[in-house]
Amino acid sequence: MTWGRKSLLGLEDLSPEEIICILDLAEEFKQFISSKKKSPKNLKGKRIVNLFLEPSTRTRVAFELAAKSLSADVISIASQSSSLTKGESLTDTAKNIQALGADAIVIRHSSAGSPLFLSRTVPVPIINAGDGSHEHPSQALLDIFTLREKLGSLKKKKITILGDILFSRVARSNLWGLQKLGAEVTLAGPATLVPQRFEELGARVTHDLEKSLSGADAIMLLRIQHERQSSSHFPSLDEYTRIFGLNAARSSLLKKDVVILHPGPINRGVEIDSSLADSENSVILQQVTNGIAVRMAILYLCAKTAEEQ
Amino acid sequence: MKSLLIKNAFVVDPRQQTCSRRDIFVHEGKFADEKQIGKKDQVEVLSLEGKYLLPGLIDLRCHAKNVLGGSEENIKSVSETAAQSGFTSLLLMPDISPIADNPGAIRYINECAEKYAVVKIKPAGALTNRLEGQALAPLGSLREAGVSAVTDCPLSAQNNQIFIKGVEYASMFNLPVIEFPRDHSLSSDGNAHDSVVSLAMGLGGYPRMAEELFVQRSITASKNLHAHIHLSSISSKGSVELIEDAKNKGINVTADTTPHHLCLTDESIRGYNTHFKTLPPLREEEDRKALIKGLAKGTIDSICTAHQPHQDHLKNAEYDISPAGVTSLDTCLFACLSLLGEEIPNLPLKISEWLSYNPAQILNSESGTIDIGSPADFIIIDLETDWIYQASESPSMSSNNPFSGQRFNSVVEMTFVDGKLAFQKGP
Repeated sequence: MTWGRKSLLGLEDLSPEEIICILDLAEEFKQFISSKKKSPKNLKGKRIVNLFLEPSTRTRVAFELAAKSLSADVISIASQSSSLTKGESLTDTAKNIQALGADAIVIRHSSAGSPLFLSRTVPVPIINAGDGSHEHPSQALLDIFTLREKLGSLKKKKITILGDILFSRVARSNLWGLQKLGAEVTLAGPATLVPQRFEELGARVTHDLEKSLSGADAIMLLRIQHERQSSSHFPSLDEYTRIFGLNAARSSLLKKDVVILHPGPINRGVEIDSSLADSENSVILQQVTNGIAVRMAILYLCAKTAEEQ
Repeated sequence: MKSLLIKNAFVVDPRQQTCSRRDIFVHEGKFADEKQIGKKDQVEVLSLEGKYLLPGLIDLRCHAKNVLGGSEENIKSVSETAAQSGFTSLLLMPDISPIADNPGAIRYINECAEKYAVVKIKPAGALTNRLEGQALAPLGSLREAGVSAVTDCPLSAQNNQIFIKGVEYASMFNLPVIEFPRDHSLSSDGNAHDSVVSLAMGLGGYPRMAEELFVQRSITASKNLHAHIHLSSISSKGSVELIEDAKNKGINVTADTTPHHLCLTDESIRGYNTHFKTLPPLREEEDRKALIKGLAKGTIDSICTAHQPHQDHLKNAEYDISPAGVTSLDTCLFACLSLLGEEIPNLPLKISEWLSYNPAQILNSESGTIDIGSPADFIIIDLETDWIYQASESPSMSSNNPFSGQRFNSVVEMTFVDGKLAFQKGP
């Protein structure tokens, strides 16, 4: 095994081997999930704390299920019930969670870099479950896991990520992860949400929907995040849909066997039509299921490294 | 009356543009001619072989939290930090408690400075009430109460009419206006320079444009009103170009930049270390190079510290929550002397221009020189002392300094204010 980290803060710093290590272990866990058996690899007696300081359903539930599938004890703290609403700093909250005997903290936070900040503050393993617009490594890993199931090796595969890239942590983590595994990534969407500068991070950037769709082996759609952008970044959802929405009429541009991904939650009729979201090309629900196996692998690897240290 | 004779030091004279070994006399708090010293005067002689004598440094942008007391930076702590770091005058920004937008606050600052400060504290008044940019502060009354300049730094009046009327009104009193050029709508979540670094880190941008648009506003205002405007803390290459162009056309603008913008780039913020979250943000190598070139050519007139103390528990937080601004008063001189030596020839002389002579000119102050008859504000420095700076050991009440752990090669040995010793380095 090539894994030696106790925290997973992002994919930018991971090596291709480390990514593959997680994916391979996730595959192993997935077989146990499908056969409804318990894996001999478990985290019995470990306490995992989910500290979710931003709304989340999918990721929080997937981390809870992953921890439970590993026989760990899991506690979830949401922003409304945390003492951060009473003015306690993140540092103090984390130190208290550590004092309560947590073996790992899964954190979702609106500030970019907060998992790294926490990892410097407390010695407990920190798993990034999404930090501002920075990274969302577990989501990207489950996307990559799903793509690997569908496409096999990702070397030279053309993957288009379409939508709000600027504010997307999913896009950034996927960009790092996919490129490390040899895929060619195109980022597409309006100029205000897909700055040309992303080319300096290795991606191809286009504002032309047709160019971004034709020839792609997979299309990853991102939700337009109303809560993050001011109205200054694009005129209206209607206009977005008209120019960048993936609808049935545009599906003729797609490869027949194109894989369609979406991290959810979907705005049906905005970034994607229902007919496509529910089509055979769509792996949106597989992504959710795979999310459990991938998060089991992440929790297991990080907690075991911490134990060995 | 006791007089002072300093022998054998290399004397850096920014007006004469010389650095030579010569004797310096101080009499009644002013630089003096040998003839002014009477036979009955008691003369203390200091022989400072191998040391440099420079005019005291003048900071055009220094923030403190409180005028008096508290556990945060106040006039006493900031002045002690200044003396230890070679500064003899500080232009105190108006965003202090109480806020310096009324004559009462200015008198209070001046009274406290008189009692507790070991260097000269010159209050800057607010340009607009509460620095809110909505209505002009009583600039004439502020002048009477003793402000040296007016500014809304670290904010900027966004309303063009308010700003322009402020400049026009202040010019009536010959009151220097200092503008911190910043479009708030483009820098509202300004955690970092808009670059590939902030893009990868997922941080909101504070683009060059946010500064350059307002630099252009000041240039246009200065040209049309025939009034002087000083631009504070310039950070972008484009701003340097705009200012150069304006100066070539004879427009009366001056500008400064900060030691961190001269020594560091946004590469430093990778890792989300908030001690590199400066205001304005650190930019790219091409900007840093343009700022150095701008100083060398005289496009940029001076260096300010942009000293912004924040309490540790506030600064050591999530990057976007942590307040922008770093402490810098205690490292400004050493960072410039230690880190820019290869890029700037004749550095001590240049430093005395950028940190003494030119800031004094901008404030219409008599200090900043070693001219006979001017106030004997001067420092003695050693350019061959190797040491490592630790922010935790600074006399400042805050330690949010980007240079902590940095090796420096110079040190202040003595600081004199009006001929009196304000600081002497221990053994």
